Amino acid sequence: MPELNSQPKAEITDAASAIAVLDAVAAQPTLVRINQAGRQIDALADLLGRVPLRLACLSSFTMDPLKASIELHGLRAGFRFETYVAPYGRFEQELIDPSSGLNAGGPQAVLLAVRLPDVCPALYDSFNGISPREAGDILGEWFTRLGTALRTFRERSSAPVLMQNYEMPLSPALGIADAGGPHSQASTLRDANARLQQLSRDIPNLYVMDYDGLVARVDRERWCDPRTRLFARIPVASGHYWRLAGFYVSHLRPLFGLSKKVLVLDADNTLWGGVIGDVGLNGIQLGQDFPGNAFVEFQKRVLDLHQRGVILAIASKNEPGSVEQVLAEHPQMVLRARHFASTKVSWNPKPPALREIADELNLGIDSFVFMDDSPVECDLMRKSLPEVLTVQLPADPAGYSASIDALDCFEQWTISEEDRKRGELYQAETGRRQLQAVVVDMPAFYRQLEMAMTLYVNHLPHVGRASQMTNRTNQFNMHTVRCTEDDIRRFMTDDQHWVVTVALADRFGDNGVIGMAVVDRGVETWRVPLFLMSCRILGRTVEQSFLRWIAEKAREAGGRRLEAEFVPTAKNRPFSGFFEQCGLRRARDSGDIQLWEANLAAGVEPIPDWIRVAVE
Amino acid sequence: MDSGMTNSDKFKSIIAAILQVDEDTVTDQLTPDRVDTWDSLNHINLIGALEQEFGITLATENLERTQSIPVLKSLLAQHGVVV
Repeated sequence: MPELNSQPKAEITDAASAIAVLDAVAAQPTLVRINQAGRQIDALADLLGRVPLRLACLSSFTMDPLKASIELHGLRAGFRFETYVAPYGRFEQELIDPSSGLNAGGPQAVLLAVRLPDVCPALYDSFNGISPREAGDILGEWFTRLGTALRTFRERSSAPVLMQNYEMPLSPALGIADAGGPHSQASTLRDANARLQQLSRDIPNLYVMDYDGLVARVDRERWCDPRTRLFARIPVASGHYWRLAGFYVSHLRPLFGLSKKVLVLDADNTLWGGVIGDVGLNGIQLGQDFPGNAFVEFQKRVLDLHQRGVILAIASKNEPGSVEQVLAEHPQMVLRARHFASTKVSWNPKPPALREIADELNLGIDSFVFMDDSPVECDLMRKSLPEVLTVQLPADPAGYSASIDALDCFEQWTISEEDRKRGELYQAETGRRQLQAVVVDMPAFYRQLEMAMTLYVNHLPHVGRASQMTNRTNQFNMHTVRCTEDDIRRFMTDDQHWVVTVALADRFGDNGVIGMAVVDRGVETWRVPLFLMSCRILGRTVEQSFLRWIAEKAREAGGRRLEAEFVPTAKNRPFSGFFEQCGLRRARDSGDIQLWEANLAAGVEPIPDWIRVAVE
Repeated sequence: MDSGMTNSDKFKSIIAAILQVDEDTVTDQLTPDRVDTWDSLNHINLIGALEQEFGITLATENLERTQSIPVLKSLLAQHGVVV
């Protein structure tokens, strides 16, 4: 039986206590706990909700009971949702009618939770009574309706729409024959899901969430409660509200820059069993048999995360050198020194170590996840750095790899080439900083880097990466306006704009595409409505050189002025001061918006000689 | 739950949490007509919460909002929970 908190109001005084409230709900997401936390949502939102978002929920079933869970999960991720829940079954009218609650509210994201059993019931409850052709007609008609509604909405709004896919039935219509038959229920529903994927490719900014995968993972037999389904059109059992809400939010995070980026791991009893300082290199548990194989399996799961773009680091309390020795010499290690962007081994507390890692990597501490087996270390981390997501490993190492699988905070909608080699990029970054430590003056340091910058104008293969950068870059970003791939493609193909992407290589390797700008090419005045750069490149004069290149192009084209805006946010402090360094003048302010400009007639300062420039 | 909590305290605390009222107001006089948070949707939440907290399963007909605190208590009693 769940534990019931007799004190309905926990004291919420700071971010750490707010997160403790949410973690307590997550530990036992009962209706009572969800409601108790929901009652304090305003106080929680003031401390945790840093990204306000108007979220609309459209559904074929009663979705209101999920609202509190969605909002609480959102806060844990950093969202402050203003949630609109449309009456059940009204999704088509809401999408089509210009005066619907959905359209009137100007949503910034839409969850479209349609269950196929609600809209095409024959495919589920009387499949054997219809012919394959009739089944095809039913699906054809449904996709025509859905496509029409979505296209109509798309003409009005570019907000991302996240649709859930269709679930397999609890019991297949043809019984054991269903798995193999050519016109089985399973194959019909798989076809429906393939058509849904196709729709998401045809209509911009439409995403498919694997709801069927979630139901299968959690427990298909107990996912629905027939009592609430039949009585109130609430199909999902109340015990799963929390899980379903988390599923929706994890799909929203990457669209609004709220996915985590870095996983910091403890070493002893996390990467291997035992304490290296006590048992030595040959005494730690790591190998073919339990418990050593549990740690090997865990490391493989971590490596797999890394290979889709998650940056790894180590924070371990140990004698300096000991952890490094295991990384270099232990034959069973899956993870090696090259996989870690930073390794902190000392007897100092771990929260400052994480801060150091964040500084080294130029990443916000709120994009960090910390994993440790020690409840003491985890507790200290939660209290000192509540913005870090702290995950305590279970007592039994057999459960370690499941802790990795349960993380839904690193999600990205697309995995780019840059993601696959991100680890190398950050590893090289550490090499560059070491070089910086031995070089005396900065120009000498810049020269030793042998930097080569390549600029691409309206280069269509960069559409995905450009959009991704607008969604992920929070720090060196003039105003953190997010762009979809479609937005970027539009800028690239009209006559007025340039989308300039910039790639950088140096003696340590290829950094890939690390910055972008949108340029509005006027006659007298060129404007820069979007300018951003990956933080790991900052401080090497690349950012100034990039803006100077744009200014020079404007001057060559006969432009007299360059204009750009800066809108300070909670995260883009690294950008402040940048325009001034580049010689721009703060012309005026309007609200939060600072307008900066440069007079091009006076000439443009050249790009420093330590950067080679090529244009593609 | 604090293991010292009686079924009666627990019952009050569940009703208070779901209907968003103070525990003191949870008396036999509290009826759906008197609290605007006791709507049909919240009544379903209420039944769900009682099931979760007392580890019981109630019949679908109890989702109907024609109920009162004494009716809920006797419903629990039928399932061996005395509050």
